[in-house]
Amino acid sequence: MNILNNPSLMEQLAASYALGTLRGGARRRFEALARDNASLRAAALIWQSRLASVAELQPQAAPSPAVWQRIENLVNAEKQAQAVQAARAAPVAAAAGGWWSSLGLWRGATAAGAFAAVIAVVTGLNLNTQLSGQVQELGARLAATPDIQYVAVLADDKASASMLVTFDPKNKKLLLKRVGDFREQADKSLELWALPPGAAPRSLGVLSGDPVVRLTAAGSDMQEVPTLAISLEPKGGVPAGSGPSGPVLFTGALIQTAQ
Amino acid sequence: MKPESPDIQLIALLDRVALADESALRELYDLTSSKLFGVAVRVVTNREWAEDVLQEAFLNIWKIAGDYKATLSPPMAWMGLVVRSRGLDFLRRRTSERADVIQALDEVISDTVAGDSPNPMDTTQASEQAWALHQCLNQLENKQREVVSLAYLRDLSHSELAEQLKLPLGTVKTWIRRGLEQLRGCMGRFA
Repeated sequence: MNILNNPSLMEQLAASYALGTLRGGARRRFEALARDNASLRAAALIWQSRLASVAELQPQAAPSPAVWQRIENLVNAEKQAQAVQAARAAPVAAAAGGWWSSLGLWRGATAAGAFAAVIAVVTGLNLNTQLSGQVQELGARLAATPDIQYVAVLADDKASASMLVTFDPKNKKLLLKRVGDFREQADKSLELWALPPGAAPRSLGVLSGDPVVRLTAAGSDMQEVPTLAISLEPKGGVPAGSGPSGPVLFTGALIQTAQ
Repeated sequence: MKPESPDIQLIALLDRVALADESALRELYDLTSSKLFGVAVRVVTNREWAEDVLQEAFLNIWKIAGDYKATLSPPMAWMGLVVRSRGLDFLRRRTSERADVIQALDEVISDTVAGDSPNPMDTTQASEQAWALHQCLNQLENKQREVVSLAYLRDLSHSELAEQLKLPLGTVKTWIRRGLEQLRGCMGRFA
């Protein structure tokens, strides 16, 4: 049967093609014919455009105000990242001495580098969108907020990120965000450790089971600490003053994003 | 033509968004987010997911608003397609949780299809083209209209529709074929 001699069949196939219900071999044959036949191609395009308006007729619903906030944060973060890139690409000879010694630029550049690293780690992983949305949001906040001066991505031995850590020395706040699907058993706790070189691990606190954990830490706890680690401990963590007793599950470098 | 066609305003905003004008993005969001969130909810069936989809869609629009000029679609239809395509990506990424999706689908739509209760269409901000489609979809039986809409919005095959709606495959095929035939006759009058 030659469908090109049958206008009504052509229309019917074009409509099923645009709707998406024409599948498999039939769809491939239709596409091949349409590439060679302008009227079949036109029929398919007309149907695609008609059906696109199905989206215009759906009932409205109000999204939560947080959605716009997230969009705005991410758009701002993108603009800032572009501004830093532009500054990096600017000619070095611009102002004698001024450009190189501009502390602000270096701060910005380092922050953007860390931001890019976080995004690279995060997007390289197959996280579900909800979490990656949160992570993007965190990344956006990271780039936009100068108070966050340290960031770490803690990963397991298979390099799967499990925890994002940021530290804001001004407010003495450590913020931990779970990004993997690891959940400790009910009778266990995760404990966060600073690993200063040549010294014993120092506990920074025990994590609750919440997706986001806030701990308090002094700036001195975080200075000169190249690495953070999380160990699996009995419920409530180890007694004060002792080192980790259980296995170390996640580790990662602590990156300073500003001076 | 309706004189107060909303398309002109949306096209002007998309032009400004293409020039990285953040205030235009905000205005566009205020004007269209309820409509587009409605689309996202219909595609992914769950408000929380739909919010992620809406966020991704607007970031997408922020990046590709310049492409709108090259299309002949009404602006709402174009943005609706961006939302649908982000929503379908979302569902594909969540295939491991497909069982949840199907359960949610059942709750949302089986009433409409089985009970033959109308799922009202909303013509707020609808383009001329959407008005025509609205007239023609209105002539279908409720269940036919719903099955055609779902096939399109969720990019489902006959057998996926049959499975999700718990209907015989032959029934779904017949409804879709008749629905498209009636649409063809009706839409032809508007073209």
